[in-house]
Amino acid sequence: MAFEPQENDIAIVGVAQTAAHARFDGPEVVLIMECVNRLLGDAGIERDDVGFTIAGSCDYLSGMPFAFVSNVDGMGAWPPVYESHVEMDGAWALFEAWLRLQMGDIDVAMVVGSGKSSPCNAREVFHLQADPYVVAPLGLDPDALAGIQARALIDAGKATEADIADVVARSRAAAAANPNAQVAGSVSIDELLAAPYDMAPLRAHDVSPKADGAAALLIARRDRARELTDNPVWITGLDHRIESHHAGLRDLTDSESTRLAAAGAGVADGAVDVAELHTTHAHEEIILRAALGLGDDTQINPSGGPLAGDPVMATGLTRIIEVAKRIAAGDASRGVAHAASGAALQQNLVCVLQEGA
Amino acid sequence: MAQLPDIDFTLEYPYTRTTGPIIGPFLTGLRDGRILGTRVGDRVICPPLEYDPADGSTVGPENLVEVGPAGTVEGWTWVAEPTSKHPFDRPFAFAQIRLDGADTTMLHAVDAGSIDNMSTGMRVVVRFNDERVGSVTDVYFVPGEDAPDAPSVDADAEPVGIMEHLIGVRIREPLQPFRKRFLEGLLQKKIIGQRSPADGKVHVPSRGYDAINRVPMTEDDDVEVSGRGTVTSYTEITPIQYHGQTETEPYIRCSVLLDGADTTIGGVDIRDIPIEEFKVGMRLQIVWRDDISFDDEDNRAYGLNESVYERWERTGEPDVDPDLVKEHNF
Repeated sequence: MAFEPQENDIAIVGVAQTAAHARFDGPEVVLIMECVNRLLGDAGIERDDVGFTIAGSCDYLSGMPFAFVSNVDGMGAWPPVYESHVEMDGAWALFEAWLRLQMGDIDVAMVVGSGKSSPCNAREVFHLQADPYVVAPLGLDPDALAGIQARALIDAGKATEADIADVVARSRAAAAANPNAQVAGSVSIDELLAAPYDMAPLRAHDVSPKADGAAALLIARRDRARELTDNPVWITGLDHRIESHHAGLRDLTDSESTRLAAAGAGVADGAVDVAELHTTHAHEEIILRAALGLGDDTQINPSGGPLAGDPVMATGLTRIIEVAKRIAAGDASRGVAHAASGAALQQNLVCVLQEGA
Repeated sequence: MAQLPDIDFTLEYPYTRTTGPIIGPFLTGLRDGRILGTRVGDRVICPPLEYDPADGSTVGPENLVEVGPAGTVEGWTWVAEPTSKHPFDRPFAFAQIRLDGADTTMLHAVDAGSIDNMSTGMRVVVRFNDERVGSVTDVYFVPGEDAPDAPSVDADAEPVGIMEHLIGVRIREPLQPFRKRFLEGLLQKKIIGQRSPADGKVHVPSRGYDAINRVPMTEDDDVEVSGRGTVTSYTEITPIQYHGQTETEPYIRCSVLLDGADTTIGGVDIRDIPIEEFKVGMRLQIVWRDDISFDDEDNRAYGLNESVYERWERTGEPDVDPDLVKEHNF
């Protein structure tokens, strides 16, 4: 049954993304600028028509305190904008913008996620997300906790190393059709399993390749959305939940926060044609499929997903864009996008997108 | 011409945190040779929390109990290539360790020598470093059951009320192309700006884009501007003697609108023009150093590296009406 939007419903009316660059030689602002100019140009509107802009980024990655402030240059700093920022993936910026539009006084918002991770070793940054007293001083980074999580999954009989390699093989094969991907192509499970361990039982290819990049989208309230595009993609559910920072209190083989967010967003209220999952480590797909209740009839990460290119801080927002593109093109009628933050899927956002007039 | 090196610096922040009624005793315990958890209901949580994770109710220090020193590995990974932040510079394991007497696991490092010595369910035991400051890094684990020798403890040491954590990230990247051309220009005593293709305004130094019109700029937009210009604003700095301060005498920092530019160079250092004579509208020109070099440039600075000029001197031209440069106060 087609979704029938009400006055307060909000749709994605335009998307833009850069390639996942292994290293982009210009400023992060230029990555943002490219996205924003394409976004506004495609929508046929001026920046002044946007009532609210919000970005997600991380200053530590480029080693530039207040980088998020100069990033506003990419969105158009003059005349002054009504602007906000989250030190999180752009998917969480979308959450704030989605709430903001529901207030009803403005009708268009622009959401950006961006990051330049090439100047640093992201592992030496993101261990700082862990508990600052008893974990961060150990330098215990997300890749290390992912290795522990993958081991827990294998020990619990929920996955094998071949299952994890299968996720990588499918991601890379799918990425062959994605011009923005960083790594793509056919690779066999046997070849993958022959590679040495990195964070055993994970191998280097089980970890997403970090990239420089940006992504942006425009959302609008129902009536304005219908003016701006013939193919609005409706956000019919959006929720996010977080688990304890104390890994000893979590069941790493499951994702309770994803399950709660999926229930909040109404994932199970209809068929899911396509899902894009923020899997920065291959085994996470196995956990997320179960937590989201996705069956074999759902196409998972047709873009190749983060394992084919991980523009850190834009990667979650890119999942939403990849689902929206497929619905807008008529290739799917209902889809789920997932974004993650923190180590070992600590925090999870679930967005349900649908076609509708 | 000197080669411009890639950027390589470490951005550091020293954090100090108060430890509170539970983490404080936990860190004090590690310093003094024992591991503490908290009894919460019918289970013992380690590392301890100040609250019951089920309902957020306060858990006070009367609930602290000693656990370990041995425990069981419930989960682990083998770190083949440690990062600079890890406790060992050789391969080791990070593990979830359920210490004897505890019902939850603690994340910590196991110095096991080889991945072949690691398995789920194995027994490990704590070891105390000789140097201990009251940090989770005071200890590590090794395979086995053998209790450690009691470490020597300073009975007079104060409990750990503050923890220090120096965080830092090493940044390495090439100079961005627009920045490299600007700096190479300076080496040749030329000031290179960029003219916006959107409105013709010249940005010096450029950031590689025109923020007003949202237009990236390329090498085609490069233009040379004059070493002469007009003071648009200034301030007198009176050095405060903080740690690391090398200045002792007051000096001037000013902004200069170079002829041919539409943006100002900020932070220009003036040492030999008396403050009583200095004013907005004054005409200045750069006096280049004979031998210009720099090795600490980055993609972030928006001024003119001080190492390229000896000083700025008055041109002898009449002052410019300050009203004409008031748009350029910053």
